[in-house]
Amino acid sequence: MTRLNLSASAWRWLALALFFVLGWLLLGALPAAAISVVVLALFYSAAGSSFNLLYGSLGIFSLAQPVFVAIGGYTSSYLFVRHGISPWIGMLAGMACAAIVAVPIGVVAMRRPGTVVTALVTLIVSEAATPVFSAITPLGGSIGLYIPVKSGTNWGALQFATGTPFARLFLVLNVLIIAGLMWFRRSRAGLWTAAIKDSPDAASATGVPVLRVRLLIFIASAMIAAVPGVLFAQYNLLVNADLFLGSAVLFQLLVVALVGGSARPWGTLVGALVMTELSQYFSDVAGDRPGIGPLTFAAAFLVMALAMPRGISGAWATFVNSRKARAAPGGGGARAPAVLNSFDQEGNEAAPAGSVSRDAAETETPTA
Amino acid sequence: MLFEQLLIVGIITGSVYSLVGVGFTLVLGVGKVANFAHGSFVAVGLYLALFASQTLGLNAYEAFVPAVALFVLIGFGVAELFEWRGRKVGEIGELLIGLALLLLIGGLLEVLFSDTPRTINGLVLGYADIAGLRISGTEFVAVAFTLVTAIGLYLFLRGSRWGRALRAVADNGEAAGLYGVRVPVARRAAVTISIVVAGAAGIVISPFTVLTPDIGSTYLISAFAVVIVGGIGNALGAVLAGIGIGVVTSLSSGYLASYWTSLAPLIVILIVLLVRPGLSEAV
Repeated sequence: MTRLNLSASAWRWLALALFFVLGWLLLGALPAAAISVVVLALFYSAAGSSFNLLYGSLGIFSLAQPVFVAIGGYTSSYLFVRHGISPWIGMLAGMACAAIVAVPIGVVAMRRPGTVVTALVTLIVSEAATPVFSAITPLGGSIGLYIPVKSGTNWGALQFATGTPFARLFLVLNVLIIAGLMWFRRSRAGLWTAAIKDSPDAASATGVPVLRVRLLIFIASAMIAAVPGVLFAQYNLLVNADLFLGSAVLFQLLVVALVGGSARPWGTLVGALVMTELSQYFSDVAGDRPGIGPLTFAAAFLVMALAMPRGISGAWATFVNSRKARAAPGGGGARAPAVLNSFDQEGNEAAPAGSVSRDAAETETPTA
Repeated sequence: MLFEQLLIVGIITGSVYSLVGVGFTLVLGVGKVANFAHGSFVAVGLYLALFASQTLGLNAYEAFVPAVALFVLIGFGVAELFEWRGRKVGEIGELLIGLALLLLIGGLLEVLFSDTPRTINGLVLGYADIAGLRISGTEFVAVAFTLVTAIGLYLFLRGSRWGRALRAVADNGEAAGLYGVRVPVARRAAVTISIVVAGAAGIVISPFTVLTPDIGSTYLISAFAVVIVGGIGNALGAVLAGIGIGVVTSLSSGYLASYWTSLAPLIVILIVLLVRPGLSEAV
C-alpha cells in the first residue's frame, strides 16, 4: 500500500517537472500576441491559487485576494519608484506587508465559521481597498505609480524587452505554487485542515488549534497572492486600482479558481488556461461587438459551472474516485447514509466530497 | 442648512440600500445562499424601465405591474436553478450560479444597451422644496415604497403562517422540516420574493438613477453592507441599517473629502463587526 502511494506521488512530481520543461520551451516559441494572453492566464492562475488554497483546504470563501495581489504590486512598485529598491526585495517586502494586513482581516472575517460571513466581510474589504489605496498620496492616488523603464533586459529591476521572460517567471511561480500545494496536502498542517473542514468541533476536540490554523492558512494565502502582484506590476510597468482591484479583476480571479476547482493542486492553472482559451474562442466567433468580451466570458463560465460544478479538477477527482469505488469490493455502498439524511444535510454533505480528494473516496460516490 | 440637505439625500439613497438589502437578507437567512446576482436584478429592473420608456413609451409606474409579473417568473426560474444546484452539489453550486448570473446579466446589458451611462427622462411627479433642496416626487415614491415593502415583509414574516414557516427554516432547517415545513419550497419562496423586491426596486428608482450595466455589483456591495450591519435575516434591521449607511455616506461626503463616500460605510461596518462579533441570525 505504501509503495503504491509512493509511486503514485512520484508520478505526480514527474508530471509536474515534465510540464515545467515543456511549458518553458513552448513559451520560447510562442508569438508576442499569444504571450500576452498566456501572461494574463498565468497571472490569474497564480492569484486564483491563493483563493483555492483557502477554499479547498478550509472552505474559506475569501473575496479579499485581489487586495493582497494589489498590496504586492503596490509595495514593490513604491519601493522601486521612490527608493530604487529592486523588485526582488520588493517581492519579499510585499509578502510581508500582505501578511501583516491579512492578520486583522482574517481575525474579523473568520471569528465566526461559515462561508457566508467570511464572504460578506472579505467582499467589503475588497471594496474598501480602492478608496483606501487612492487616498494614500505616496502611492500616486487614483493615477497609481508608473515604473520608470530601464532599457533592455535588466534582471535586477525585473524588466525585460519582451513578454517571454515574464511568462516564464509566471510559469515558475505557478509550478512552485503547485509543488507547494502538493507538499502541503501531505503535510501535518494539510491533514489538520482536512480535519477542520470536515468538522471544526471534532478537530478542536482532538487538539487541532482550529483558529490558529485557519489564520495561518489565511496569512499564507495572502503572501502567495502578493507575488503575482509584484510580477504583474513589473510586466505592466504600472500599478493602480483599475489594474489590480475593481470588481472585474475579482470576478476574473474567482471564475478562474472555481472553473479549475480546488480538488487538485493543478486545478487553478488548468482553469485559467481553459477559461482564457474559451473566452478567446467565443469572442472570435461572436465578432468584435462592444461588450461581447465580458458576455462570452460569463457564458463560458456558466457552461463550466453547470457542467462541472466542482471545477475541472473536481470532475476529475470524481471520475477517479468512481473508478476506484467500482474496482473496490462493495464500492458505492457508502452512498446509502446520504439518502437517509434530509435534503439540507445532503446538500451540505456533498460539498466537501470533491474538494478533499482523499476523503471523497470514503465518504460517498457523488451522484451522476 | 447643509446638514438637513445631506440628511435628506442620505435618507433617499439609504432607503434604496434598504430595499435592496431586505431581499438579500431574506435569502441569506432562509436559503443560506449568498446570491451574488442579487444586485443584478436591480439592474435588470432599471434597464427594463429604460426599455419600457424608449420602446414601448410607458413610464416606470405604468411598466411596474407587468415588470413585477415578469420578475415573479424570473424569480421562480432562478430559485429552481439554485435549488437544483444546491441539491446536487451543495453550497458551492449555489455560489457558482449566483456568480455566473451576475457576470451574465452584466454582459448582456452591456451588449444590449451599450455601456454608456443612461438616464430616463420624462417622469417627474412634481417637486417639493425642503430645506432649500429640490426633491422630485419620484424620490418620495421610492422612499414610501421602501417603507411599505419593508413593513409589509416584516408583518408577513412575523404574522402570517408562511412567514412563520420561513422563519422556522431560517432558524433551523432540519427541525422545521421535521415539523412539516416543506424546506425546499420555503427556500424557493425566499429567493423568489427577494428577486421580485430587487426588480421592483430597480423599476421604482429608475426615474432618478443613472444606469450603467455594471451597477448590479454596486448594489450587491450595498446589500452586503446592509446585511452585516442589520444582521442576517433581519428585515427591520435591514431597513434601519440601509438608511443609517445612506445617511453616514451622505454626511461624510458633504463634510469630508469625496473619497469618504465609499470609505465611511466601510468604517461603520468595521465598527459594527468589532462591537458585535456574532452576527445575529434572527429573522
